[in-house]
Amino acid sequence: MTANAALILTSAAVIGCAVYLILERSLTRVLVGLVLLSNGVNILFLVAGGRRGRAPILGSDQGGRVSDPLPQALVLTAIVIGLGTTAFLLAMAHRSWQLTGHDDVQDDAEDAAVRRLAAEDEASDSFDLALGAAPDEVPEEEGRST
Amino acid sequence: MTELVPLPVVLPLFGAGVTLMLAHRPAAQRVVSTATLSAVVGISAVLMVQVDRSGPQVLWVGAWPEPLGISLVADRLSALLVLVSAIVSLAVLVFSIGQGMTDDDQDTPLTIYHPTFLVLVAGVSNAFLAGDLFNLFVSFEILLFASYVLLTLGGTGARIRAGTIYVVVNMLSSALFLIALAAVYAATGSLNLAQLSERLAQLPGSVALMIHLLLLTVFAIKAAVFPLSFWLPDSYPTAPAPVTAVFAGLLTKVGVYAIIRTQTLLFPDRPLSGLLLCAALATMVIGILGAVAQSDIKRMLSFTLVSHIGYMIFGVGLATTAGYTGAIFYVVHHITIQTALFLVLGLVEYRAGSTSLIRLGGLARVAPLLGILFFVPAMNLSGIPPMSGFLGKVALAEAGLRVGTPLAYALVAGSMATSLLTLYALAKAWNLAFWRTPAEAHDTARTLSDPHGTVVRHGRHLHVHGSVFETRDVEEARRVVDEDEESDLDLQQLMDADALPRRMPATMVGATAGLIGVSLALTIVAGPLFGYAERAASDLRDPGDYISAVLPGGSR
Amino acid sequence: MLELVLAHVVASVVAPGLVRLWGRRAFPIIALVPLAAFVWTVSHSNAVADGRTLTQNISWVPVLDLQLSFAMATLQWLLALVVTGVGALVLFYCTWYFADDEPGLVSFAGNFTAFAGSMLGLVLADNLLLVYVFWELTTIFSYLLIGFDPTKRASRQAALQALIVTTFGGLAMLVGILLLGNASGSYQMTELLADPPGGTAVSVAVALLLVGAITKSALVPFHFWLPAAMAAPTPVSAYLHAAAMVKAGVFLVALLAPAFAGTPGWRPLLLTLGVATMLLGAWRALRQYDLKLLLAYGTVSQLGFLVALLAVGTRDVALASLAMLLAHALFKAALFLVVGIVDHATGTRDIRLLSAVGRGAPVLLTVAAVAGASMAGVPPLTGFVAKEGVYGGLVQVATHGEGTGLAGWPGWAVVVGLLAGSTLTMAYTLRFLWGAFARKPRLPDTVVEPISLGFVAAPALLAVLSLLLGFLGPAETRLLRPYALSFPAGPLEELALWHGVNAGLILSILALVAGLVLHRWRSVLADVQAAVGPSWSAERGYRATVRMLDRTAVEVTGFTQRGSASAYLSVILTVVVVLPGAAVLLHGWSGEHVVAWDLPAQALVGGVIVLAAVLTVRSRRRLKAVVMLGVTGYGTATLFVVHGAPDLALTQTLVETVSLVVFVLALRRLPEYFTDRPFTRRRYWQTAIGALTAVAVAGLMFAATGARTATPVSAGLPGPVRTFGGGHNIVNVTLVDVRAWDTMGEIAVLVAAATGVASLIFIRRSRVVIRRVSDLPRDDARAQTTAPTWLRGGGTVPPERRSVIFEVITRLVFHTIVVFSIYLLFAGHNHPGGGFAAGLVTGLALVVRYLAGGRYELDEAAPIQAGTLLGVGLFVATGAGLLPLAFGGAVLQSAILDLHLPLLGDVHLVTSLLFDVGVYLVVVGLMLDLVRSFGSGIDRQILADEPEAVDAR
Repeated sequence: MTANAALILTSAAVIGCAVYLILERSLTRVLVGLVLLSNGVNILFLVAGGRRGRAPILGSDQGGRVSDPLPQALVLTAIVIGLGTTAFLLAMAHRSWQLTGHDDVQDDAEDAAVRRLAAEDEASDSFDLALGAAPDEVPEEEGRST
Repeated sequence: MTELVPLPVVLPLFGAGVTLMLAHRPAAQRVVSTATLSAVVGISAVLMVQVDRSGPQVLWVGAWPEPLGISLVADRLSALLVLVSAIVSLAVLVFSIGQGMTDDDQDTPLTIYHPTFLVLVAGVSNAFLAGDLFNLFVSFEILLFASYVLLTLGGTGARIRAGTIYVVVNMLSSALFLIALAAVYAATGSLNLAQLSERLAQLPGSVALMIHLLLLTVFAIKAAVFPLSFWLPDSYPTAPAPVTAVFAGLLTKVGVYAIIRTQTLLFPDRPLSGLLLCAALATMVIGILGAVAQSDIKRMLSFTLVSHIGYMIFGVGLATTAGYTGAIFYVVHHITIQTALFLVLGLVEYRAGSTSLIRLGGLARVAPLLGILFFVPAMNLSGIPPMSGFLGKVALAEAGLRVGTPLAYALVAGSMATSLLTLYALAKAWNLAFWRTPAEAHDTARTLSDPHGTVVRHGRHLHVHGSVFETRDVEEARRVVDEDEESDLDLQQLMDADALPRRMPATMVGATAGLIGVSLALTIVAGPLFGYAERAASDLRDPGDYISAVLPGGSR
Repeated sequence: MLELVLAHVVASVVAPGLVRLWGRRAFPIIALVPLAAFVWTVSHSNAVADGRTLTQNISWVPVLDLQLSFAMATLQWLLALVVTGVGALVLFYCTWYFADDEPGLVSFAGNFTAFAGSMLGLVLADNLLLVYVFWELTTIFSYLLIGFDPTKRASRQAALQALIVTTFGGLAMLVGILLLGNASGSYQMTELLADPPGGTAVSVAVALLLVGAITKSALVPFHFWLPAAMAAPTPVSAYLHAAAMVKAGVFLVALLAPAFAGTPGWRPLLLTLGVATMLLGAWRALRQYDLKLLLAYGTVSQLGFLVALLAVGTRDVALASLAMLLAHALFKAALFLVVGIVDHATGTRDIRLLSAVGRGAPVLLTVAAVAGASMAGVPPLTGFVAKEGVYGGLVQVATHGEGTGLAGWPGWAVVVGLLAGSTLTMAYTLRFLWGAFARKPRLPDTVVEPISLGFVAAPALLAVLSLLLGFLGPAETRLLRPYALSFPAGPLEELALWHGVNAGLILSILALVAGLVLHRWRSVLADVQAAVGPSWSAERGYRATVRMLDRTAVEVTGFTQRGSASAYLSVILTVVVVLPGAAVLLHGWSGEHVVAWDLPAQALVGGVIVLAAVLTVRSRRRLKAVVMLGVTGYGTATLFVVHGAPDLALTQTLVETVSLVVFVLALRRLPEYFTDRPFTRRRYWQTAIGALTAVAVAGLMFAATGARTATPVSAGLPGPVRTFGGGHNIVNVTLVDVRAWDTMGEIAVLVAAATGVASLIFIRRSRVVIRRVSDLPRDDARAQTTAPTWLRGGGTVPPERRSVIFEVITRLVFHTIVVFSIYLLFAGHNHPGGGFAAGLVTGLALVVRYLAGGRYELDEAAPIQAGTLLGVGLFVATGAGLLPLAFGGAVLQSAILDLHLPLLGDVHLVTSLLFDVGVYLVVVGLMLDLVRSFGSGIDRQILADEPEAVDAR
């Protein structure tokens, strides 16, 4: 089967841009990136379906090849799921703006805590609590200077 | 009998519809969802027996001539996993009903919990039954979207933060999955797993390899395999306890299942053992080190979850019947035990108002029942015989030694080290949360922070200033030292002062105990179960039956 | 034998209840269980003595070759006696040791009994895996028992330490077992003994097994956990740390010795460690003030002794060492129990406080003296008999080798080492007796409370046995001989009190005398010890290791868990670039099967799309980004048209429009510009990953498309779609019929998404309230002033935002749009359209109503809960799927096959159309939900947040 360079390169470029965007911190940008990504991917399915053709609708026969309907069905599903994605992430962006006043993706605080411990060459807290100090009663031994 | 195959998916969806219509009738919702899941349990049990007796059950949805439509296939592996996940989700549902899902302090929209939960279950079952790669994608989306909703229930700051990481990572993985699907269709013109198993084999090696690796990457994200596992411990623990429980039990296993299918059905003659085994080793070791470093039991368990995924990948990577047998058994074990443990933590949170090792203490004396409920599954997870964790570990180690390559030996060693560290981490948690006196815990918490929240002991201040309202530990530490009258009460006194619920709802305890019972029962039925797992494994090793069951006329 | 173990299990379940009922008086009753096991074991003595082996085998997990198989030969018999006998006695002793109100006593009873059970199982198990099962169980229960008083940090840490150290050994042992089974094909000890396997694998396996034994029996360098474990109550120490658990390692060595004593490394390893441990333990024992710690170090020393002896592997040494093992169990348990009594009667265990206790408690003194004498090896006690036998045998080994290869200096070295050990043993025995009972100068006599007879009974009985056994050498020999005979080499000399003057006797006497001397000049010894006292200790090593481990954990975790989404995403993308990307490189580039385009238009539109994408990336204003995104979307739609996919184009256009609206609605409150970020190196990184991903994807697609040879499945669609699906629009029939299963899942997704959005926007409210104009308060001025209105809700919109034209148009267009959408729904099967498109169009109609007339207008247009719509939709769709089952069809099967009516087509259409209606309803529900959340919901929040906005109106 022949590959359609125009479509492939288009979608690849779009996907590249999308990737750049989802690595951003602003949740809106990430979301835009994801939508862009799905657009690019949808084009890939056209590629997967092969050459273009008439709409896959029977009856109105004017001859000529018909475009592969199966990928179209798949893309339709993907598009609709994409709508769900957009809606949900928008809601999250709005919510996090409500909570924090911005829509930047925040870092996980407990990871930060562990990283700080690492930076300070500290043992983990549970260690310090569990085994940190020496046992309270060190048995005294003969000949040990007390 | 094949009409049973789709029911584990359709019934929950049907139930979801009904519960949505009953939005303002919580009682009715409870009845519907419980009934639905019970029905699913029954059906999948029958299905499993049926499959074991008379081979894979295949249904071409809508009775379309194969290979046009979508096929649902229940082979031994699928049937087993559908049954186990149904049981587990039923237990979790009952638990969350008992908890009233009024988790933490905010009133979570109860009306959407039941439908969403049912959708989640449907997605999981569908993933196990899908006989079509694109349908597998759809079922992933079903369970993912349900999980997005459940994870962000209540929309608190912590949950939104955790949710963001989870949602974004998974959406990326979905996009990658779609790319893989496009490539697969482009290369083979088919999506049916059985047909793909034949068509992929005819592709040029390098093309097949790209697709193979891409699929593995996608599924490894779901399964939380190193280095694609970092998102998990940051996202799971903040959810309401039952939600975390069901996620921990089921979602990662769906990924593992998908990996197993990829390895055995799609690319049976390209095991990539080296890659998988290395990933498995890293997953185990780095995961468990993460657990050791935590100071909150919920997070600790999320890390053990990741780490123990390594065991299953270990079994898969060996690509021998023994290896798959071990992996399958371990999946079953891990689904039950990990869920049970998170439910127990739900009880701890309910009873003691926290899961932070900085705050907890003396639970063994305060709530002995809780002690037993925690200790037994904890030991099971640590692979203490004769419990299922031990059996799974032995099966995998045996398989590894039988393979006998240096890498396999390394993995055996790694798995042993992992189980030692698991034991260490959990015993540490036990020492602190259950043995240490409440007063002692209380004093430590006080030393962590003074009322002004400045540095008291070196290396401690992270619990105090900085993102004060963001880590639970900080909230714990502050709650202890806050100026309100409860400030000088330790856990014991709080309980005496009725500041915390005296006793746990019977349904919550019942559900938890029931699940622990199931995990112990695995030991008793280990003989037959391992027999079944071995049969399932040999099915996997020789996909012939599967393919001919799906495409009796041979693929075209 | 399984029955005996199970009996213990039951007992351990019942025990807590009993204790809760009757307090400590329950212990004698619990003691009956081990006692019964003891009696059972005794009753089989003759059979065992005749060299027979009782076996029992029940299948458990055949796949793993893990069976419940037990075997009782001499060795197992002996240990079973010890475990059950001492167990019963200690439980009996507990009756006096504990107080009724002792915290944790209830669980103690359970754990202790369970421990006894696992210990019994351990010594009786024949399948090595089963041995490991019980092995680990003893570890766990000892953890719980050592932590008997968890309020003391010391005991918590001791418990954890013991747990980790012994489990570490245990896991090594497990690997050893698996290796052994793998090499020999069996885990059954009886079979392994029958014909021992050989080879490197086996030697490794045995070495690993020994690691287990060494840790469990507290040999150097793992000895440190045992003294620390003395934090446990005395009965526990007496049982676990003298008679039972620590014997497990010794037992394992004894069990393996007949088969593997010849394995390379066996003797060097065990003899060295054994002797070293014996010396170190005894040396440390001489420095203790705490009687219990003194005994603990004594135990360490004795365990080293036993292991060394059993490692030798000649017949008479084996015989003697079994006797020694028995003797040790008797006297050490007795002594621990004595310490417990002293502690109770005087309130201390410190040598420096105790004085003249012997005077106050003569009985106790006698008991201690007898037991101590046995420990030191004083005739006529069994300790002496055993030791004499040992030395006799060892001298034989040192002179003739006896096939051990120890002839000459190695043998003599062992003899000297052990002799030194015995000397120290004598010395610390004296220190114990003197320290506990003697009157000391410059110390007041300690007050000794009266000691009830029952309390002393247990130790007394043990002491008496130590004495009696001394005279029963021949009988003992008869009972223990079979084990000795299982060794290939060496003569077998009978144990006896008097063999006449021989090497053994002389050496024993020598040790005793030397020990006396050491005690006489103990002050000198103390100075020496102070001088050479080592600064390091194994325990510090352990702590250092654990800390290091924890530090590593922190460092690693700190490194991997960056905690930021973008970090994790870049890891994932890197993996994508590295793995599949590498494969792409592997594949390389072949120009074949590539065309530039089917139509130039594709390239043209593609260019526009790419341009828009780049602009999206570069835009710093939210709105611009969204608009550019829209352009890519519409561009994609155009590509669909060009490609011949009208359905896609239609849906894509609609979805794009909807998302635009939703975006704008949702983002209206967010800041206009993205938060500015400095231009960092990070950007390059992002760009790089983006570019590489793009390349990888492109390469993948080129390769994949080029590789296609097979005809696509869809080639088979047209025929069935017409005949079987009864439609002309293949895509739509695929959606609602061929792949309806996907569609069903998809609407489930939509339902989830919609509920999720609602739950995130209406956080606090569990249900969205629908408020129609009629709900507005009567005295609301606007309702009248703004009349006449075209839209009922129009009046609720602030005048400055109203547009009459818009309202009029809306009024006219709305129903038309809805009708059109219905048409799309029904036409879908044969022409572009279908449930999705229809739903989206209806949704857009609602959007228009909202934009024109505000939220009240929306609720006027759709006075229904979005959730209900979603529910009904899902209900209808899945119901339509389940319906065919009622007619005996398959799920989602078109009823056309089942209903033989005229106008089949119509009937057929009905069923799959029903499904499409479900889809339609779900999509409308979703749209309504979106408008209500992002529109009305946010409106309300704005009002709530900006009171002045309310005043303005």
